Amino acid sequence: MATSQRRDPFMARHFAPQHLFLTGALLIPAFLFQPNLFVRVGQVLLFAQLATANGKRIKWIYFVVMVSSVTVFNLFTPFGEILFTVGPLSITRGALQSGLEKGVTIVGLVFVSLASIRPDLRLPGRLGGMIGRVFYYFERVIEGKKRIRPRRLIESLDEILFELYRPGERRAEADGPLRSTTTLGYAAMAMLVGLNWALVFLASPIGT
Amino acid sequence: MNAVQPTPSGQPTPSERLSGAQPAPQRAELLEFIAFMGALCLFFSTLEYLFPKPFPFFRLGLANLPVLIAMKLVPMRYVLLLVLLKVLGHGLINGTLASYVFLFSFGGSFASVFVMLGVYRLAGRHISLVGISVFGAIASNVVQIYLSVTFIFGLTAWVIAPLFVGLGVFSGVLVGLFAQQFYEQSRWLEGIRGYFAAS
Repeated sequence: MATSQRRDPFMARHFAPQHLFLTGALLIPAFLFQPNLFVRVGQVLLFAQLATANGKRIKWIYFVVMVSSVTVFNLFTPFGEILFTVGPLSITRGALQSGLEKGVTIVGLVFVSLASIRPDLRLPGRLGGMIGRVFYYFERVIEGKKRIRPRRLIESLDEILFELYRPGERRAEADGPLRSTTTLGYAAMAMLVGLNWALVFLASPIGT
Repeated sequence: MNAVQPTPSGQPTPSERLSGAQPAPQRAELLEFIAFMGALCLFFSTLEYLFPKPFPFFRLGLANLPVLIAMKLVPMRYVLLLVLLKVLGHGLINGTLASYVFLFSFGGSFASVFVMLGVYRLAGRHISLVGISVFGAIASNVVQIYLSVTFIFGLTAWVIAPLFVGLGVFSGVLVGLFAQQFYEQSRWLEGIRGYFAAS
């Protein structure tokens, strides 16, 4: 148990899932109200770091493609000062800046989400209970993944499915360990939220 | 209604489950089955990463398999519940619940299931799971393109619509073919079908 806890990512060790979710919810408006594009890029890098600390693997290429494609599509609606031309297309400051802002914002929101949501976050009510059952079965299905044989796919799937679910059979609820937020977790939460909100008021807008 | 009761020493064997007339399932049993199918949706979406992607945003839609199969087994409201569990579970596991990815997943999944249920209701036995799957994939792709045009890329993104709808048809055929094959050949599903046929 101690070994598995040591392997847990920082966020899992120091944050209760609902507090982590709350932190993300407080960071989102601070990110969206940030007027300075450079600060916003810095926030995106910070959120990526937090997502990694939450045990998530960041696929940078996906996000680079995302920002680039949003920016390129935005360039087709030119406005503002012309910076240079590429064939028939005029690259304008307004379109470029707006495209970058949009792309960076979208990627930042994904990173905040990755940083603040964990599978052990329990949604309230009966739907939350159903999600708990889904995860209970999911963990067991994943255990059987290695037994799937591509050459006899349906037969091997059948064997696993027979073991895991038969109608009429109800299995015990599997409750995971309840996590609580540590003092370090509360301090990190206050620092993250405080820093990002302070930047909203301290940073000046660019491009104006 | 009489749900099958587990024996004190354990559970009924698969052969016991598969043989003879089976009683109608209770609501709790249906919910349990839907939770299991939700787990299979998440499982198939993890298998998706094993296949190479021709484009960064392209998905095969393997997570749709359990939804396709559930449509033939349980009432409509349970299929909708399954889709809700699928998108919420996916958002929680991947951590995308609070991002645009969830919006796309939610929009695409529900557009797909509404179209599939509609087609299934209208065409009934005259349409295979391949046909239903293709309709679902097209609906999902069209809604996702609409969302990406509205929220992310702007009007110029419509130029990629034919490509993505084409890819959607291709993936819909593949998923539908596998779903049809699984529906016809799986012994586990045969047992489930017998059990839920009474509902």
